[in-house]
Parts: sequence; C-alpha cells; structure tokens
Amino acid sequence: MNTIYESIRLTLQGLAANGTLPQAFTYQFVINALLCTLLIGPLLGALGTMIVVKRMAFFSQAVGNAALTGVAIGILLGESYTSPYISMFSFCILFGIALKYTQYRTNLSNDSLIGVFLSISLAFGASLLLYVSAKINTHVMESVLFGSILAVDYTDMNILLVVTLIASLVVLPLYNQMLLASLNPSLAHARGIRVRLLEYVFVVLVTIVTVACLKIIGAVLVEALLLIPAAAARNISRTLGGFVAGSVIIATLSCILGVLMPMQLGLPVPTGGAIVLVAALVFVVTTVMRTTLSRFRATGV
Amino acid sequence: MSGPAVVFDKVSLELGGTRILDNVSFRIESGALHCIVGANGGGKTSLIRSLLGQMPHSGQIRLEGESLGPVGYVPQVLDFDRNVPMTVRDVMALLTQRKPAFLGSSREHRAGVDAALKRMGVLEKELRPFGGLSGGERQRVLFAQALEPAPSLLILDEPCANIDEPGARIVEDVVLELNAKGVTVVWINHDWDQVRKLAHSVTGINRKVMFHGVPSEVLTWAEPKAMVS
Repeated sequence: MNTIYESIRLTLQGLAANGTLPQAFTYQFVINALLCTLLIGPLLGALGTMIVVKRMAFFSQAVGNAALTGVAIGILLGESYTSPYISMFSFCILFGIALKYTQYRTNLSNDSLIGVFLSISLAFGASLLLYVSAKINTHVMESVLFGSILAVDYTDMNILLVVTLIASLVVLPLYNQMLLASLNPSLAHARGIRVRLLEYVFVVLVTIVTVACLKIIGAVLVEALLLIPAAAARNISRTLGGFVAGSVIIATLSCILGVLMPMQLGLPVPTGGAIVLVAALVFVVTTVMRTTLSRFRATGV
Repeated sequence: MSGPAVVFDKVSLELGGTRILDNVSFRIESGALHCIVGANGGGKTSLIRSLLGQMPHSGQIRLEGESLGPVGYVPQVLDFDRNVPMTVRDVMALLTQRKPAFLGSSREHRAGVDAALKRMGVLEKELRPFGGLSGGERQRVLFAQALEPAPSLLILDEPCANIDEPGARIVEDVVLELNAKGVTVVWINHDWDQVRKLAHSVTGINRKVMFHGVPSEVLTWAEPKAMVS
C-alpha cells in the first residue's frame, strides 16, 4: 500500500507545484491527513446513522476512554508507546463485549451501562497512568484523546484502511438486519435474524473503528464525527437513503474543510477542532432549516 | 401446501423469579387458524416470543411439517424513535430484503412489497415518513411486512389493538385468505366474538392452559372467560 500512497502523494504534489492545487498540497502531512479523511468521513458518517438509531451515542466515548487504559496496559507490558495498537484493540474489544454481555445479564439500558463502564474504565486508566507516567511522557495519552491527524504515518493509514474494508464488508450485507435487531428484536427473530450475535458484531465493529481512528483524530473527535453529521443529516432527511448519504457527505466535507481551511485561511485553529466546528456549523444550519422551513418540518412527527 | 403444525410441549418460563408459563402443552394443527386468548399478563405474548425463539424457556416448541417456509410476525407495536427518517418504503425494504435499505428497494421484492402494501390499503402512503403515520396506519404497514415473503406460518400479536374498523376488516379478510391457502395462523386475540367466528381452535392461557379446543365447544359456557381473566 505504501507505494500507492507514495504515487498519490507525488501526483498531488506535482499538481500543487504547477498551481493546479493549493499550496498546502505540497506537504506530505496534508496529503496523508486528507487520505485519512476520505476514509474516516464516509466510515464514521455511515456508522453514525446506526449509532443514532440504536441510541448508543456515548459508546464510542466509552471506548475512547477504555483505549487510555489499553495504552497504559500495553506500555506496562512492553508494547511500543507510539503505536500501541495490539493492547488498544484487545482491551477495547474486551471492554465492548463485556459491556454488551453485562447489558444482556442485567437488562440495564444502553446509556446507564455505558455510563457505568465509562467511569470504571476512566478510573482504571487513571490509576494505571500513575505507573506509566514514570516510564513515558504522558503526552502520548493526550494524543489518544485528541489525536493528531497531521502526524499520521503509513502504519496508521494501513490500519485505518483495513478496518474500513472490514467494516464495509460486515455492515453492507448486515445493515438491514442490524437496524431491525435494534428496532424490534421479536420481528428480527421472526425473520431468522440472530439478534444477540448481531448486537455483539456491531459493538465489536464500532470498537475497532473507534480504535483505528483514535491516533488519527482522537476519542473526542471520533464521537463528534459519529454523532454530529448523523444528527445534522437527520434534521433534513425524509428517507433512510437521504439520512445515510447526508451523514456521509457532511462527515467527509467536515473532515476535508477542517484540514484545509485553517491552512488556506491562516486560521489559528487546530485541525481536530476545525473539523468539529465545521460539522457543528452544518448541524446549526440544518437545525435552522428544520425549524424554519415547512418542507423539513414535515419530516418530524 | 399447508403450513406447519405447532407443538408446545411442557413449556415453562420464569422471569425474575416469577412463573410466567407453567407446563404449557397443546398442539396447533397444520393449516389451522388458532387463537390464543387470556387476560393481560397471563403469558400469551411470552408464549409467542418463546415460539419466535426470543425467550429462554424449558420444554419444547416444535414446528412439524413437510417444508417449513417463512414465518410472518405482526407485533402489537413497533416501538422505535419516530424521528428516524424512514419512509414506509424504507421500512418495508429494511424488513424484506438483504440489499441495504438505504440503497433503495430491491427489484426482487418490489412487486411483493407493493402487493402487500396495496392489500393493506397503505400503498399510497409508501413515500410518507413511517413515524408520521397514525397508529392504525403503522399497524397496517406492520401487517403488510408479514405478507412478504408469503408466510407458511403467520403469528399475530393482537394486530387489531390500535387499528380502526376498516383496518380491522382488512386484517380479518387477509387472515382468512391466507388461511384458506393453507397458512397456519397463530393469533393472540381479545375479541371473543371474532374468535368464535373465525378460529378453528382456541387455547385459553393464564400461565397454564385453562382450556383448549374448538371455539363452538369451549367458548359456549361462562366459565372460560372467568378462567382466563
């Protein structure tokens, strides 16, 4: 894959050099960031629609916090602190499965249980940080929360690409079944859908997507990109197709504009913040459209 | 071809320390229109959910027949966030096809879905937001989804609870049509007059089987109502 990234980079840098593309495209870190956004935007935008329907808004945040603990465990076990993917993936997947298992055992609602698990993982992570801080600069932990899209390397991009492919291969054939399983489990059962298995698959999927995006855009931004574009698209959509397409477009555009605008306009805004601010602006606009235009008001009930 | 026979064999179910079903055994014959009656909280819906494989129970539930076709199920309500932007067409696509519903209806199911919506009198609502429909209209759509693909076993959990008189008549007609084609129907029904009029067999449930038989025989005396209320 690295050869493909290189050839894309060289092509774009050539176009920037002859003035076809903006000057920002002469920098490799900008091109890497944009390639990541072209994967992250559609991925989080599409997945976000299911998160919103399933009312699992804070799950990705819980996973993000669990990742802190995962990183701490990885460092304690001797994994590289710059790319502690094995410990992050392992711990977060266990975290997600344990959360879902507990939900089935206790019948607690999603939001209550996510809140409980989020608190536990934060407390556990904070305790471990005490030991880890003696070994490394805790700034590494900060990057898990806030990411660094302008500092991604080919390893991060490859992991994101693999996770995007896995997510597409799983979600596309199972989209209807996953959505139906959360809308009405009885109806899903009657149609031969294995509801619990699909719920576990979905939780694992959201977990690996969140973890793959953590180092690039951070836990806080993953949650924002899962929720804001889907919420904005819901404001102005009448159909499921419009909802998903709108969410994907808003997420992708927010990412691209968030990366390019601060550089082009010389704004003193961090990339992550800019991405969320663009998405938030779209959300505000769609909210105004929904509340003022009768065409969109009619989508509500 | 007739739908499957349904056999409940010593089915028991306990939830949170409360006995919901106690040793329930009865048989629904192949191709029968069978009604289940009983008081609220008597375990009717739990029995149906056990039949759908959704409740962990003891005992056995078997479908017996030469070829077991699709199962159609109509729940009492479809409880979901009504602000999710889904048209009636989207809901039908979600329920009936493999192709992701957000990519549109699949050609394979289009004719069947149209026929089902038309039969239930809601085809003209296909582009309306599902969450914006009235309770009765949503129930008609829910009934329509159970018709595609054509079921061999139709399970109805009080499908007329939120439906108006014309809608209830359509439901009744469709049930009779399907049953005449051999579809086995299992229908939770509170309307004893309708049960007397339509059902081949009836079971009264109040945690246990209180009575079971042909409506004209078991629903003629006053005791059954008291037994399940």
